[in-house]
Amino acid sequence: MLRLGISKVLSGAKIQHVAVVSRAASDIAKKPEKIEVFIDDKSVMVEPGTTVLQAAAQIGVEIPRFCYHERLAVAGNCRMCLVEVEKSPKPVAACAMPVMKGWRIKTDSEMTKRAREGVMEFLLVNHPLDCPICDQGGECDLQDQSMAFGSDRSRFTDIDFSGKRAVEDKDIGPLIKTIMTRCIHCTRCIRFASEVAGVDDLGTTGRGSDMQIGTYVEKFFMSEMSGNVIDLCPVGALTSKPYSFTARPWEIRKVDSIDVLDAVGSNIVVSTRTGEVLRILPRTNEEINEEWLSDKSRFAYDALKRQRLVTPMVKGCDGQLKPVDWEAALLTVAKAMNQAGNKIGAIAGGLTDAEALVSLKDLLNRLGSENLCTEHTFPMDGCATDLRSTYLLNNKIAPVEEADFILLVGANPRLEAPLLNSRIRKGYIHNETDIAVLGPKTDMRYDYEHLGEDPSALNQIASGSHPLAAKLKKAKKPLIIVGADAMARADGGAIRTAAMKLSQELQSNIVDGEWKVLNILHKVAGQVAALDLGYSAGVEKIRNADGIKVLFLLGADEGTISRDDLPKDCFVVYQGHHGDHGASIADAILPGAAYTEKQATYVNTEGRAQQTLVAVTPPGQAKEDWKIIRALSEILGSKLPYDNLDQVRYRLEEVAPHLTRYGAAENANYFKQALAISTMAKGNISNSPLDVKQKKLEDFFMTDAISRASPTMAKCVAAVKKHMESKY
Amino acid sequence: MAKFLGLDKLGLLIKTIQHYGGIRASLYKLYRMDEVKIGKLVGTDKYGNKYFENPRFFYSRNRWVEYAPKYGMDYDGSQVPAEWYGWLHYKTDLLPMNDPSRPKYKWMADHTENRSGFPEQYTPYSTTTPKIEAWKPTKQ
Amino acid sequence: MAQQAVKTLRQVKPLLSLDQGQARSRVLNLYKAWYRQLPYIVHKYDIPKSIGDCKNKLREEFLKHKDLTDVRVIDMLVIKGQMELKETVNIWKQKGHIMTFFKDTEEPKPTDFLSKFLTNTN
Repeated sequence: MLRLGISKVLSGAKIQHVAVVSRAASDIAKKPEKIEVFIDDKSVMVEPGTTVLQAAAQIGVEIPRFCYHERLAVAGNCRMCLVEVEKSPKPVAACAMPVMKGWRIKTDSEMTKRAREGVMEFLLVNHPLDCPICDQGGECDLQDQSMAFGSDRSRFTDIDFSGKRAVEDKDIGPLIKTIMTRCIHCTRCIRFASEVAGVDDLGTTGRGSDMQIGTYVEKFFMSEMSGNVIDLCPVGALTSKPYSFTARPWEIRKVDSIDVLDAVGSNIVVSTRTGEVLRILPRTNEEINEEWLSDKSRFAYDALKRQRLVTPMVKGCDGQLKPVDWEAALLTVAKAMNQAGNKIGAIAGGLTDAEALVSLKDLLNRLGSENLCTEHTFPMDGCATDLRSTYLLNNKIAPVEEADFILLVGANPRLEAPLLNSRIRKGYIHNETDIAVLGPKTDMRYDYEHLGEDPSALNQIASGSHPLAAKLKKAKKPLIIVGADAMARADGGAIRTAAMKLSQELQSNIVDGEWKVLNILHKVAGQVAALDLGYSAGVEKIRNADGIKVLFLLGADEGTISRDDLPKDCFVVYQGHHGDHGASIADAILPGAAYTEKQATYVNTEGRAQQTLVAVTPPGQAKEDWKIIRALSEILGSKLPYDNLDQVRYRLEEVAPHLTRYGAAENANYFKQALAISTMAKGNISNSPLDVKQKKLEDFFMTDAISRASPTMAKCVAAVKKHMESKY
Repeated sequence: MAKFLGLDKLGLLIKTIQHYGGIRASLYKLYRMDEVKIGKLVGTDKYGNKYFENPRFFYSRNRWVEYAPKYGMDYDGSQVPAEWYGWLHYKTDLLPMNDPSRPKYKWMADHTENRSGFPEQYTPYSTTTPKIEAWKPTKQ
Repeated sequence: MAQQAVKTLRQVKPLLSLDQGQARSRVLNLYKAWYRQLPYIVHKYDIPKSIGDCKNKLREEFLKHKDLTDVRVIDMLVIKGQMELKETVNIWKQKGHIMTFFKDTEEPKPTDFLSKFLTNTN
């Protein structure tokens, strides 16, 4: 199977990805000679093995198809792509037939048209005419292609005799709605499940008109990427359950944005109507998420309408939070901050954008406080986070599939970054990547060598005493991916130093100068930007600082700090978009905007800055986060010098220029220096076993303030738990 | 002759003043109700409002209510309970206590006057669910 | 250089007036036309303003542009003023349109960040 649609690569849409592929191709000593074929009498030079469909795509001729999908194996069962080849008695299936030298392919001939019409007729014989009540209506491949290629009249009289085929619907979970009568058996969902998701749950039973797609036994399609089959389904057989019957594609406004529910930074399209987010779909980005999206990112949007903070609140004299207007809230907060002097601390949560982070840091620095930290722990000893290479996924996401050896340390990419895991799995399947895991044994949907849970194994591998060491050293493209949970340990610094040492050693064997062995995988979208801007990770600093008078929680909802950690008279301000742990301990609440409601910068785990766009306006009186901090600063009397987004971004650029280079991932280097500094730090790896927080699928769905407020995600957790109890 | 001189009007005035118990009391009634007229007391409701009738007056002015003294100057039409409303507005000539078909159930709510302008006033509210469900702080 | 600039200025196609003097007389004509119509406007539209108020307002509207020197701009404003006058005199407007000239109680929109933030206009 081809890893990528060649047409995609050759069309040159993503230049950087071409570079990656050509790097892979350069391993092959000699490129085979190209052969010439003629498509509609136009000559095209293609590599041997190219299919007719791909050759046609190269000159912009699109052949209709249902079952063929660039990222999945070729099935060749829908027959929609039949084309005429000169001197061939029968039409051939373009998606599966490799071209031969000198073939003359006719994509527009009478025979081709008749073939398509015939196929269309057969498909429609057993497809219900329920487009008016079908959720796929308007974005349905079958609708479109029957308009373009189908016959203009019907010969279907069977309705008076045997009737149309009807198939029972399947219950495959809380996310995907099935109307199996509409299925045209393209098997894209089956191929996706087994090839990309790695869950061999879906399959076919029966033959001919009795053929059915299903899960054989009654069970849920339990995958962290299951939602993608909705996009893949060319008809309305698999549709989104939460989105069902809510909108039509032509009445929707679509806004390109970035997902923030994990650290991958998947590109998304937010569909809105009447000021509501109706659904979230993936947007193709070859360097990050290809065209997939994880279920949490896709379905947690219903939380944007629940548990929201819509009005500023201040605790009254009776100890209850009361809604107030902005002026009163800002004055109360400013009064408390003025009285606190420089005894102010701030904690930034995982969903915070770079603009809010930089304004809050500027404000606190102006007030003379340096107590700024992020909620998620990361080792700050040694070289801390001064060099970016110590906290980034340095080798980027896309090249992960080229690796030949991957060592996962205290990470569960399947649940922490499903799209990274799909890359690893792709390498595992097509590239025979060896994977070893140091940490708890979890189900990653591929086989791996389990090295136990003792983190000191890292030192053993580095010294060569571990059985794995020899294998690792032979690897041409090894990767070490260290998870955020391993870094959050007390001995995280030592683990990182060990990983850095090991990767430095491996790095010297690697020919490819671009390849970087050391990779850190974060779990939250805001962490990298916060570290870039000079926040210190972990709330220890706040706990240890004496006499904090005001604590500013910027979307910090994980409950890492509680009232007991703070002095009695500490005034807690919470700024964020969801009422969760942070809001419940706050004395004053400033309602901010969620990621679909602001234009904001997020940096993913690779260090790639991307921006979200405004899809809907913030609810009620909520405001964009940096504006709240800017307004507060003026009331405090230390006005921040920016009034609009451009000025904030200019300030961002001053602090860290890469934060405004949207779409580009800046390379981080200085590995040697980073290693040298971090070895100076004291501390040894303790022998407590490595652990990850998300072990099972049910831990995947609710991990942050947004997904915790989502009813759909709660249903998923319940469904997974129920599924665990069932005998299948 | 007396009629010609308008003496009967004078007699009526004296009669009215006597009815109300003196000039002072009559002036108060005049101030409170903008008119003083005498009629037959046909009934009193449970709130203390008195209902009068005097066929001597023209139709539509021959039935009236004298609001209970407790309302002072703050009386208004909504203080007339539903059962007297019909009689007062000539929907019926039957007095409420004489009307046999008037329903009387124990679940019937008591009459309330219009409370606009007070904290208990009626305010219209939306019955559709809000698009955004706001977080409610937990009671501490 | 300066002469060149003057030359190019002179080559610009005039709208109506060829020089300042003509423009001035057009402005004065317009002013007079308005001035004479004011009593009828007040009467016909039944606006709660006296003729004196309207005269002041007329003067104010004209003085708004007292610093203009470009003949073409003045001409354009005169044309617009004539259109406005015609619409008013022919009762193509309604009372509310006339009253929009008197918007003295209208609060100016906030311009600085904080007031914009507090009034929800940013």
